[in-house]
Amino acid sequence: MTALIIFLILALLLITGMPVSIALGLTVFTFLFGFSDVPMDSIALKLFTGIEKFEIMAIPFFILAGNFLTHGGVARRMIRFASSMVGHWYGGLGLASVFSCALFAAISGSSPATVMAVGSILLPAMVKQGYPSQFGVGTITSSGGLGILIPPSIVMVMYAVATSGMVVKGPDGADVLSASIGDLFIAGVVPGLVLASMLAVTTIWRAWKGNYPRQNRAPLSDRWTAFRESVWGLMLIVIIMGGIYGGIFTPTEAAAVSAVYAFVVAVWVYKDIKLRDVPKVLLNSAAMSAMLLYIITNAVMFAFILTSEQIPQALSEWIVSLGLGKVGFLLVVNALLLMIGMVMEPSAIVLIMAPILYPVAMALGVDPVHFGIMLVVNMEIGLCTPPVGLNLYVASSLSRLGLTEVTRSTWPWLLTMLLFLALVTYVPAVTLVLPQMLGM
Amino acid sequence: MLRLLDRLEEVLIAMLIAVATVLIFLSVTHRFAIGFAADLVGYARAHDMTSLNDTARSIFKAINALKMTWAQEACIYLFVWMAKFGAAYGVRTGIHVGVDILAERLEGAARRTITTIAMSGGVLFTAIITWIGTDFVWHVRLGGQTSPDLEMPMWIIYLAVPLGSALMCFRFLQALHLFLTTGQIAHHDHGAVDGLDEEAEDLAKGGHA
Repeated sequence: MTALIIFLILALLLITGMPVSIALGLTVFTFLFGFSDVPMDSIALKLFTGIEKFEIMAIPFFILAGNFLTHGGVARRMIRFASSMVGHWYGGLGLASVFSCALFAAISGSSPATVMAVGSILLPAMVKQGYPSQFGVGTITSSGGLGILIPPSIVMVMYAVATSGMVVKGPDGADVLSASIGDLFIAGVVPGLVLASMLAVTTIWRAWKGNYPRQNRAPLSDRWTAFRESVWGLMLIVIIMGGIYGGIFTPTEAAAVSAVYAFVVAVWVYKDIKLRDVPKVLLNSAAMSAMLLYIITNAVMFAFILTSEQIPQALSEWIVSLGLGKVGFLLVVNALLLMIGMVMEPSAIVLIMAPILYPVAMALGVDPVHFGIMLVVNMEIGLCTPPVGLNLYVASSLSRLGLTEVTRSTWPWLLTMLLFLALVTYVPAVTLVLPQMLGM
Repeated sequence: MLRLLDRLEEVLIAMLIAVATVLIFLSVTHRFAIGFAADLVGYARAHDMTSLNDTARSIFKAINALKMTWAQEACIYLFVWMAKFGAAYGVRTGIHVGVDILAERLEGAARRTITTIAMSGGVLFTAIITWIGTDFVWHVRLGGQTSPDLEMPMWIIYLAVPLGSALMCFRFLQALHLFLTTGQIAHHDHGAVDGLDEEAEDLAKGGHA
């Protein structure tokens, strides 16, 4: 009953279009004043201490690092490298765009920006070479989403933040340790590669069926030049992953070091950004981070209310008593998240839904890392589904195709992603094999 | 006057993120330098190089005397300030995302009403936070609590909450006023990427796609 009231208030506030963070905060206050006797002071404390964790500070650093390298010049280098490597296969530039998106998204971390950067360079080139623009739009819209699955990923940090410190019990009654940022990043590698390959296969199949043009095989010297140019950007991922896995840095330190590295590469190696443009990059990154940190603060308050009303526990007991089992529960979670993903932004969804679903999943014996990666894949699909898929909007404005047309062009890749979601959901090994091999 | 406030807000949050980044970078470098100097001392001792041993030892002592343990704490507080003021800046530029499918589909008076409600929600929430925050800061000040590493009075750090929220409240009022008088809503473009024009020109000149 209490749960119903809380979510009704939240839904009513959200539907007005107010910022998600504000809606969360107002829900907390409305509930406190109207329906509960939780003392105000404990809420006030959350307001101040909600984001006082060093792990959360990875978010602004990752955003800053990404923003330094979210530039047309970096996108061009990635595209050049990808098309020199795979452009001569079936799918030609389409296949190249899948890999360019994967590379660029991993560095930039923003899906819509990836669609914008790669799309605005590759789409015109593809049309000029005689590909139908629907084909290009489909590949780029879908592979632009790879960024939140391939580490470093802000959404993974959000999941780690939302679930860390939650005391939950597994099916055997033992406490379950929540997933760390490092675990999630390492676990994201294999699914990221698998999804990129699956999208590539779909692209090759569509291109083979439509008999689309292919590039000439690039000579080795071209490949080497393209690799040398793009390697500076790609080193960013190596620094982060190597640093975290090698135990040299904490994720937050890795993020800060990568931000400094990205600054050096963007200003002095690539020379894409002039020193006088740096304040603008700083300002944009600060504003973006502040927006996310603001959602976190209010989501922490919201989660606190839920917990103090024992809602996750009640929900968990109820679902376990339904006897859905692991299989049924994960199916319901996927359906629910895909639905919410159609209207809301990934970080906000993870912050609101993770604290509710996590205890249930743990009670049913799902691995915390596996569950996190599954949430992220759902969010990725949400970026490409109407009515509010950011990637669709960007692709639509780039290609001048309507939203419906863009959605229709994306469906073969969207189906591929759903297939991949099923794989990740029901074959935990895809996610867990690498962390286990590395002994994490 | 207002332009000055805008500018101040921008400079403040850009500075905060820059300082925090440099700080954490330095503390990581510092940790590496200690390790390196210690290795050098060990190497010199193992190979009986007295002068190198002495130099390395003094370097090690110098670096080790510099304590960077406060860097993490400082970074958190810098970001707390950045988050609160950045959120206010975000209202001005329309970066805060919401679920706008209904508002986008409505027209005329209905749209006007629902957007007014949405923005008033922002005004109301930030006003409540300003009030609670001021009260909280006042109590912390009376309690005389200080931070563990920097030993800074906590009330100064927590001051970010009432100040930032007050500014944010003002920004929501501004946005509401702008909407009611001109019908405009600030909107942040999440797909914005710099340097694409230059790339398009390159392509037109026959550059490699």
